Amino acid sequence: MLLHLLNRAPSSSSVHQDVLRTMGEEDGLMLIEDGVFGAVSAQVQHFPGLEGRLFALREDLESRGLAGRCDSRVIIVDMDGFVALTEEVQRTVSWF
Amino acid sequence: MATTQATRYITVEGRDIGLDPEGFVVDLAAWTPAVAEALAAEEGRELTLEHWEVLEVLRAFYARYENAPAMRPLVKAVGQALGPDKGRSLHLMRLFPESPAKVGARLAGLPKPTNCL
Amino acid sequence: MSEITEASHGDLLVMLRHAPHGGLWLREALDLALVGAAFGQSVSLLLMGDGVWALLQGQGSGPLGQKGSQSTFEMLEMYDIERLYVDVDSLAARGLTRDDLLLPVIEVSTPELSTVLAGHRQIFNF
Repeated sequence: MLLHLLNRAPSSSSVHQDVLRTMGEEDGLMLIEDGVFGAVSAQVQHFPGLEGRLFALREDLESRGLAGRCDSRVIIVDMDGFVALTEEVQRTVSWF
Repeated sequence: MATTQATRYITVEGRDIGLDPEGFVVDLAAWTPAVAEALAAEEGRELTLEHWEVLEVLRAFYARYENAPAMRPLVKAVGQALGPDKGRSLHLMRLFPESPAKVGARLAGLPKPTNCL
Repeated sequence: MSEITEASHGDLLVMLRHAPHGGLWLREALDLALVGAAFGQSVSLLLMGDGVWALLQGQGSGPLGQKGSQSTFEMLEMYDIERLYVDVDSLAARGLTRDDLLLPVIEVSTPELSTVLAGHRQIFNF
């Protein structure tokens, strides 16, 4: 299992499409930095079929004022959780 | 590379050849076989026919790929050009002790191999 | 379409997604691949997105004389880097086919992409 890290908003970059095409059925996707703009309800449709394995970093949501706007399908993870997650997966792949 | 500064010069056949801090020829066009002989002599090396055929392989590699090879591709290139007996690390280590890719590139007038540490 | 199985794998996968000439990504990616191979790692390249432009035939040097990457790509085989994967959808989206490319490549379809990633011990994304 891989954990993919995405730091671009789906509204400003098409890189999320490459991520989705590359993800295996078990792989997780972690939205960080500007990637968390994709976690709001109006944008989360860019990440279909990822229930239970779509994450967003709490610190990045909060700093952008998005903590209350994050869609319920997205699992919010804080920095500690993020670190724990990266330790559990075989490896991470950064997309930018 | 144009940005490399010569920090010292070696006089070969009346011309001053600029060298970088690691002894690589700065202006690739300034290289002649006599430069190789002079650089080798500085280090107490004597260039035999076997050395020269490897230097030729190095120059051909650079002409084709615009990069000086690291050790593994050098071994492969020597093997392709001179046969499997010579395309071995041992042969190259014997000819150019220490670091065949680096020493060979320097004597052949090439830049330092970028991916050779 | 292809020969991609769980068995086709290597130590290092270098992914290239940025177009050539506009930045240093391509150069950095190739340098990393060459260093890895020089140290005896088995290295594969995967080109997707605008990264596929890097293999387009007929590129020259830049306006300031920046070196093109064609000769470096041709050098990969001397470093025993022989697996050059290309994402077919990225090619098609840019009106390209394998005949437009400098070197023979292994075409990868979307369902096979995750297999390529899973088959490598380390992944570097440029």
